[in-house]
Amino acid sequence: MEKMIELARGPFFAFSIGVMLLGLLRLVFLQVYGLARGKGGRLRNAPWRKILGEAATWAFPFPHFIKGTRLFSSASFIFHIGVIVVPLLLDDHVVLWERLLGANLPSIGRGVADVLTLTTLVCLLALLAFRMFSARHRAVSQPMDYWLLVLIILPFGSGFMAAHPAWNPFSWNVVMLTHLLSAEFLFLLVPTTKLAHVVLFAFDRISEIHWQLRPGAGARIAEALFGSGAKV
Amino acid sequence: METNAARENQDLGVTAAPHHYPYVVEDGPEGDRVGRFLEAFAAVLEFTDYKPLLASYCTSSAKCNRCAVSCPVFLTTGSPRDIPCYRTNILLEIYKRYFTIGGWMSSRFGNSFELTEAVIDDIADTFYRCTACRRCTQECPMGVDHGLITRLGRYVLSLIGIVPKALRVSVREQLEGETHNTSKVPKKALVHTLEFLSEEMEDLLGVELEFPVDKPDREFVFFCAVSDYLMEPETLMGNAAVLHAAGDWDRWTIGTGNYDGINYGLFYSDWHLESIIKQLTAEVTRLNGKQLLIGECGHASRSARQFVPVFGGADTYPVVNFMEYTLDCLRKGKIELDPDIVTERVTYHDPCNISRSGWIVEQPREILRAFVKDFVDMTPRGTHNYCCGGGGGLVSVDEIHDFRMEVGGRVKAEQIRATGADIVIAPCANCKKQLKELVEHYELPCRVMGLHDLILKAIVIPGAKTPRERQEEAELLAM
Repeated sequence: MEKMIELARGPFFAFSIGVMLLGLLRLVFLQVYGLARGKGGRLRNAPWRKILGEAATWAFPFPHFIKGTRLFSSASFIFHIGVIVVPLLLDDHVVLWERLLGANLPSIGRGVADVLTLTTLVCLLALLAFRMFSARHRAVSQPMDYWLLVLIILPFGSGFMAAHPAWNPFSWNVVMLTHLLSAEFLFLLVPTTKLAHVVLFAFDRISEIHWQLRPGAGARIAEALFGSGAKV
Repeated sequence: METNAARENQDLGVTAAPHHYPYVVEDGPEGDRVGRFLEAFAAVLEFTDYKPLLASYCTSSAKCNRCAVSCPVFLTTGSPRDIPCYRTNILLEIYKRYFTIGGWMSSRFGNSFELTEAVIDDIADTFYRCTACRRCTQECPMGVDHGLITRLGRYVLSLIGIVPKALRVSVREQLEGETHNTSKVPKKALVHTLEFLSEEMEDLLGVELEFPVDKPDREFVFFCAVSDYLMEPETLMGNAAVLHAAGDWDRWTIGTGNYDGINYGLFYSDWHLESIIKQLTAEVTRLNGKQLLIGECGHASRSARQFVPVFGGADTYPVVNFMEYTLDCLRKGKIELDPDIVTERVTYHDPCNISRSGWIVEQPREILRAFVKDFVDMTPRGTHNYCCGGGGGLVSVDEIHDFRMEVGGRVKAEQIRATGADIVIAPCANCKKQLKELVEHYELPCRVMGLHDLILKAIVIPGAKTPRERQEEAELLAM
């Protein structure tokens, strides 16, 4: 079991992070390439300041707490804080990052990490409950929307239990292995699931650029479908 | 993914009836609509730049449902098919299934999404229940532009012949007809209308003015929604009064080669959008004008402002909305508005196409506050306004009048009622038509008019009748 944990901490971890980064890099490349090839000079016409300004409002989304979605949005926002901060800055994780990337990140205290982990878990359960019990949320939810929530609960829950043996009814080794493997499985999923919004967020937001339509495209489509001299 | 229509039909144990649309479709497609839809979608993906956007949305859409509570249509119906994300997802599922490797592979396992005749019926209905107001986009944490996707879905539909006849007939006349405008107003009728407006202005203001027609080398070439020439003479007279009072009468012209700012291409077709924009710029070039001056019309202003730089090529000109021009005149002291004429309570409706982007929000309010004693805003306002319910071309489709009244416009009607306003200012031909119908439908105690209709009452014309004299004359006539 210890050997498995060591493998999960070492090569598996490196592999999953590598796949995630390469996958995300691929997505970014495809977006940048697609935009540069498709839009070219028209990118200059895009209202960049407005795009960046709107994106910035989501870092502190208080103006976006609108009626009808306050609970869901609060849970989602708070969950994002934990899901970013704890994997990166918990002292045990900082050691892993240093070993893998040589990065020397500042660490947060165990107490802060505990609070963030527990609030993240509560928020995850709340989001899952919304998707299960609200007809409006069910209508737009697909299987992966549920699975991802469960898959994120796993590393957070097991991580908390591993850090607090008093709360852990299972063997520490089993819990730690679950923690590592479930987290690594999530890393592998990032580029192909909606978790990819970690980078695609930036490209989703630039729809104003996509209103810079390609000149002549409409006529070419009409000609391809209806032949030359197509009528309205 | 299974659509509502398909599910409902399955529940009833029947196959969805094909070729059913909630609006009149001229020469609708026969036979294999699925194949033709996919062929048209493939052509669109081949020649345009939508692919990266669709790929990104497919992967990262959070499905958080925030769009639902910001959509006035969903707020009224509560129906899942009116959730913007749900509608967008139909098109994304088609893209994923038929145009990506991942989608093809998924389709080999289990009972995955298939495009069927029933889904096409669902798209034809659902995509015309959206007013393309883009309010939902503001509340989407990812910034998914459901208005753009709605438009794309409609574009593909139009390429297989599914488009409301009202829109298609108008565009056909504008691009292929003799008059080159959506209301089929011949050049001769335009000239007669302008002569009539001259006479009206002489009666009303006491000034003799001849509308400038086909004057070359002018600063502004004027385009309004052509329907204004038939239905909104007071808006046009208000425009003319500002130009005259500001001393700019020799700086503008109306061209008889093209005088319609309406562009329904904005609502459903890249092809038509571009062709209509080119007609506008060609007219400015013919007259050697310097700028396009767009009258009170939201989508005409947005389509010109946004797409003249995109499609104009060498013929790119600045685009100015008339309210921007009027505010400039007011700030420079070129026009004066009598603050004692309009005493009723006035509110302002933001047309989505000019306000959502933040382009025109404060300008009309600054003008109104300069001469209206009792101005109240709606809540929410400006960039977060609610659509009138007739956006995205819906106002022109008579067959969906009941939808526009009971669903699309219900939230707006409640908003107007809450202000207690006597006058609703709507500087847009489409919003005006929809709001007038809403006022009648909900028996709201107010009138709807354009901003320049109100300005016409209060503007001071040097050497002519004063606003007070004009008001007294109007009261006498009304008795």
